[in-house]
Amino acid sequence: MSETRTFGIVAEYGDVDSVMAAARRVRDAGYRRWDVHTPFPIHGMDDAMGVRPTILPWIVLGAGLAGLGLSILLQWWTNAVDYPYIISGKPFFSLPANIPVAFESTILFAGVTAFLLVFALNGLPRFYHPLFRLERFKKVTDDRFFVAIEARDGKFDPEATRKLLAATNPASIELCEEPLAPVVLPNWVKVVGLVSITLAVIPLVLAYRARNARSDSPRLHLVGDMDFQPKLKPQAASGLFADGRAMRPQVEGTVARGELRENEHLWLGKIGGEWADAFPIPVDEVLMERGRERYDIFCSVCHGYGGDGDGIVAIRARETQQGAFVPPTSLHEDRVKKQPFGQIYGTIMNGIRTMPGYAAQIPVEDRWAIVLYMRALQRQRDASIEDVPLEKREKIK
Amino acid sequence: MNVGPDTLANLAERPPRLGEKAPALGRRSLVIGALLLVVGLVLGLAGDQGMEHFLHAWLVGATFVLSIALGGLFFVILQHLTAAGWSVILRRQAEMMASMLPWAAVLFAPLVLPTLIGQADLYPWADQDWAAADPIVAKKTGYLNGVFFSIRMALYFVVWIELTRWFVKHSNEQDQDGSAARTVAMRKYAAPGMLVFALTATFFAFDALMSLDPHWFSTIFGVYFFAGCAIAVFSTLILGSLALERGPLQGIVTVEHYHDLGKWLFGMVFFWGYIAFSQYVLIWYADIPEETVWYAHRSHHGWQYVSAILLFGHLLIPFGGLLSRHVKRNRAALGFWAAYMLLQHLIDIFWLVNPNVGGHGAGGAMAFGLIDVAVWAGLIVLSFGVFVLRARSQALLPARDPRLAESLSFQNN
Repeated sequence: MSETRTFGIVAEYGDVDSVMAAARRVRDAGYRRWDVHTPFPIHGMDDAMGVRPTILPWIVLGAGLAGLGLSILLQWWTNAVDYPYIISGKPFFSLPANIPVAFESTILFAGVTAFLLVFALNGLPRFYHPLFRLERFKKVTDDRFFVAIEARDGKFDPEATRKLLAATNPASIELCEEPLAPVVLPNWVKVVGLVSITLAVIPLVLAYRARNARSDSPRLHLVGDMDFQPKLKPQAASGLFADGRAMRPQVEGTVARGELRENEHLWLGKIGGEWADAFPIPVDEVLMERGRERYDIFCSVCHGYGGDGDGIVAIRARETQQGAFVPPTSLHEDRVKKQPFGQIYGTIMNGIRTMPGYAAQIPVEDRWAIVLYMRALQRQRDASIEDVPLEKREKIK
Repeated sequence: MNVGPDTLANLAERPPRLGEKAPALGRRSLVIGALLLVVGLVLGLAGDQGMEHFLHAWLVGATFVLSIALGGLFFVILQHLTAAGWSVILRRQAEMMASMLPWAAVLFAPLVLPTLIGQADLYPWADQDWAAADPIVAKKTGYLNGVFFSIRMALYFVVWIELTRWFVKHSNEQDQDGSAARTVAMRKYAAPGMLVFALTATFFAFDALMSLDPHWFSTIFGVYFFAGCAIAVFSTLILGSLALERGPLQGIVTVEHYHDLGKWLFGMVFFWGYIAFSQYVLIWYADIPEETVWYAHRSHHGWQYVSAILLFGHLLIPFGGLLSRHVKRNRAALGFWAAYMLLQHLIDIFWLVNPNVGGHGAGGAMAFGLIDVAVWAGLIVLSFGVFVLRARSQALLPARDPRLAESLSFQNN
């Protein structure tokens, strides 16, 4: 046996009432580093010992709120920022959909925190306690009750403390010693630990080997339902359909998700990122007539029927002397005339300066129709009779 | 408290009862309640919407009273089912509440009988022509018709009253003979009793409340109604114990019992929110017109404010308010939250029922006025009077229950 020092004084009791009474006296004597050990929880012991309220609820509350905040943040970032995707017409970030996850994360964070903190705040796991050196103390898990006052307590005095405990009618009082030298783990614990860790690595090594080794024997199928799923893979054959193909061709008249606006020329007026100077759709009389109609409806109010920037809005603004009004551009300016078709299309779609974008009001093909009609307006300003086809010259003379 | 054999013998010999002042209080309540109802009736006859608004107000008040009584039945069965020790001193109060179920049946009679003869002010489907003309309701007329409705309502009340009678009978007789066999028998029948209670309460909610808007349906609606019952009974138990502690139950109800009642109330507040949200989120997510219409009515014409009051006032604010252990162990604070939750529970029923005034959910205009307050207050005060007068005949706790000592000395830690 090595050298020892006093750990504390331990008093033993035979029933609940006397250990409760003893606890009250120790509490009233002002001791702080002491504890009661019983075979089962005793209602009212917290009060008898004067146990101060634990800080645990506050930390758990904080952890719960952190779980709430983090889960909302995560859902906001994944749904609304990183990968926005419309699901049944809901906003990208919509609180009702986030509440189930937020609720569960709150509980998860609070629960796990409470579980771990109960261990941490109680100083667990603890492999050794000096009280277990006492032979009598072993009955603490059976039918005996103990009060132990530690020598670390500022009020501890070998004589006075013993006297205090003796006054509580204990079944026995004992001094508990602890070794001076720090308690070291027994060697067998280290061996068991080392062996366990070594064994735990084996599955990882085997898995690594299996993933990197070649073998002629067919692989094992542990979970058949997952390895052989009743589904058709891309490019596979299937007897289900007459043409033998598993992949179905696109149904006529439909557009696959994400493929609606693949035609950059048609939708954006661009080819390879540059403004296109050609029409993506066939040009004919019908399109021209449509363009005239749409132009007169949407454009003429500002740009005027002739395209001179003298629409009714512009006239009114001039006559009421609206100082801040920016007059509409005349479509016969050289600058505009030189613009490629695609750029005019882009202006109609997106707007420019104070002109708003008309994408919401004018469908794609109508925009191109307006581009066509506008080009015609521009051309007719500088046109001569030679530009008119022979058979129509008579008509306009 | 320290419970010795003397305490138990004393309680068994002279179980606490309501004091001498109780009958006067009960009679006064009857008079005041009746007067308030007359005021409500006059307002109803004078108003534009007439008896329709009056009937809806009556349904709200009657459902409120019924929810406390049903909550009492739930509490009694649950304590037997779980063989709970802590709650024994509270159980008689819950039994008394459940014993109000016959009275609740009286309150519901003026709503059921007109429906039986085809008067459709409350339940539009009672008008057979209207129901046949409506393509959705026409398919439901096999279930929603005056006769079958009345049979079901009668069945619910008979089942509840008989269940209560059986438990209360054994409990009262145990006061005399102290037989532990009764406790065992009550535990045994608590399990099927709970099953019957769950089914009848669910279908009652479907019939009495959900069918006000016969187009709409929600399978969780019964649980929602039950959550309200649970909040009602725990709030009432807290207030009842606080009142009785000033008199006959002094020194018997301790802070530990309030702590547990507070935990229950807190749990049920959140349970209500959980169920209410479960109903909402599925409908919100699916966004199908025939389901969203119910919430659409409650998002317009001023009902959106009532909805907001429920979200914050019925869930978030009391959740924060009841979270702390110190609140649950403080009589004044817990009493405040109990009274507050009863008010919120009343608003909840109002929110379920009154959007159906004038057009059965089709119009959904705000319907709230003096008539509602008069009828609710009248029914509640009147029922309180009936309760007090009936409670005189019983002891205030099961004086010879085998677990009485455990309950008296109950501690949370």
